[in-house]
Amino acid sequence: MEYLSTNKIAIVDLATSKVTDQEVDEDLVKERIGGAGITTALYEQYQDEDPIVLGTGLLTGTLAPASALGMITAKSPLTGKVCHAPLTLYAGLELKFSGFDYVVIKGKPPKPVYLWIHDGVADINDAKDVWGKDVWTSTDTIRELMGDSLIQVLSVGKAGESESDFAQVCINYWASGDRWGFGKLFGQKKLKLVALRGMSLLEVSNAEGFVNQCKELLSALKTGAFAEKKGIAEIAVAIGEGDTPKWLAPLVHRHQSCFNTPFPSNTFVFLDEDPKLLKESEKKEPGFLITDVYGLLGFKKLGLSAADACGLLRECAKYGIDAVAVSELSQKAGKKKPDEIKKSFSGLKGTLENVGKGKFSPWSPPKPIFANFGSSQDAQWWERRQAVAYIFGIHPIFALMSPELSEEKLIELANLGAGLGFTSETLNKVIADISK
Amino acid sequence: MACEMACGYHRDDGFALLSSCIMVTRGREKRDYSGVVLKEEENLVIARPEGLEIRKLGSGVEAEQGKGKEDASAKPLLLREPCDLCSDRKEGPLCLQFCPVNAISMD
Repeated sequence: MEYLSTNKIAIVDLATSKVTDQEVDEDLVKERIGGAGITTALYEQYQDEDPIVLGTGLLTGTLAPASALGMITAKSPLTGKVCHAPLTLYAGLELKFSGFDYVVIKGKPPKPVYLWIHDGVADINDAKDVWGKDVWTSTDTIRELMGDSLIQVLSVGKAGESESDFAQVCINYWASGDRWGFGKLFGQKKLKLVALRGMSLLEVSNAEGFVNQCKELLSALKTGAFAEKKGIAEIAVAIGEGDTPKWLAPLVHRHQSCFNTPFPSNTFVFLDEDPKLLKESEKKEPGFLITDVYGLLGFKKLGLSAADACGLLRECAKYGIDAVAVSELSQKAGKKKPDEIKKSFSGLKGTLENVGKGKFSPWSPPKPIFANFGSSQDAQWWERRQAVAYIFGIHPIFALMSPELSEEKLIELANLGAGLGFTSETLNKVIADISK
Repeated sequence: MACEMACGYHRDDGFALLSSCIMVTRGREKRDYSGVVLKEEENLVIARPEGLEIRKLGSGVEAEQGKGKEDASAKPLLLREPCDLCSDRKEGPLCLQFCPVNAISMD
């Protein structure tokens, strides 16, 4: 695969400690496009070995608007189905530039390990420096060991190590869209973390055409329905929690976008610092980046203050446990005090009602956000819209607020970039295949 | 980051971050502190929450930029080609056109 690709797949066997490289077969791309289309094919190829597949979309890491998305594809311990969890912030970008479009992780090592994927090399390393540590300390440790603060770290905390059903694979210090318990799979494979960094170059088939098309799309998007809005509280409003901005506002420091994404869907709150501070905090860990609207709302619905809710989100991320599961099970158990909720992380058990029903993480709200897509906007529409985002590598929440990023436009971009002649029939077939 | 990618495209005709003369410093993630640094012919232009700062290259002062462990990734910027304002493009600098959140402007 010559364009928009690093042309490599890493097959990582943790049992034998061997890594083999495969080329990304152009015929596979012609047939499955990329992203979830190919991670699903790779999962099926290695399914007897219960793999965890990391992947990027065809457009991930390019100038295509919102091309931030990578993904984890695996069998969810919660649903028993093969599902996809989003890798946002800079993780998708860094996976693509690490030199591998896809990584298949199979087998189980005799002792805990971590993967260091960088510049076209995948190393399996002893995890003795990080096993037993929380998510934040693990991220700090790896970045210090490698001497690079821009390394993106997909890691599990104690929840993953103890194989909790609600363990989450976190991104750096923050919660992710892993609502499938993939952290448990990391724990079962004694895989503490995957560290990503690289300096690849992605070539483009029709470079000027691709860039011009990206520019036109971005211009159109900037006048879209989200144009004057920022932050996670606005997403909460869009799903019916209208009082969230006022509740959260006293803590808000700044809003953050994922790579190349026009809407900043993440909000950084300062908990131990003045949110109005316009210089670097002298405190090492003054706050928390909220990346999951449902985790935030789960704690809000327990009647907690914004400070207590965000403090608990921070504790969940350090422990590597899904805040949505914690809040739901806390509510069922009648726990409403932050201390008792935190104490319940260890050994948390129960059945969740708010578990994803389809293939794509319910981290993305189940309807259009701010925008009107003009067609039936039901569950089937949502599943297809998410499939499109996960195939091309588009931020899956942004996909719900950007009718301008239509399937036709994305196919056109993919053709300018990869030069492989994709059609709407190709896309329909891939969506049908991954929806089985 | 999109600005870095756009600049990288201007340099390499592909998507890469290695040769960009503009860089978002985001190594202080836990403190939510970041800025944008641009390498010009003679200056390093640093935009941070505190305001804009221009440091003369070669004065030794720019060595202060990136002295912290968390900023180590920003150091290669000093080795790269300076900004030419995308002089071969009549529409002007690509970084301005591709910033998804309109964070960059040019006087």
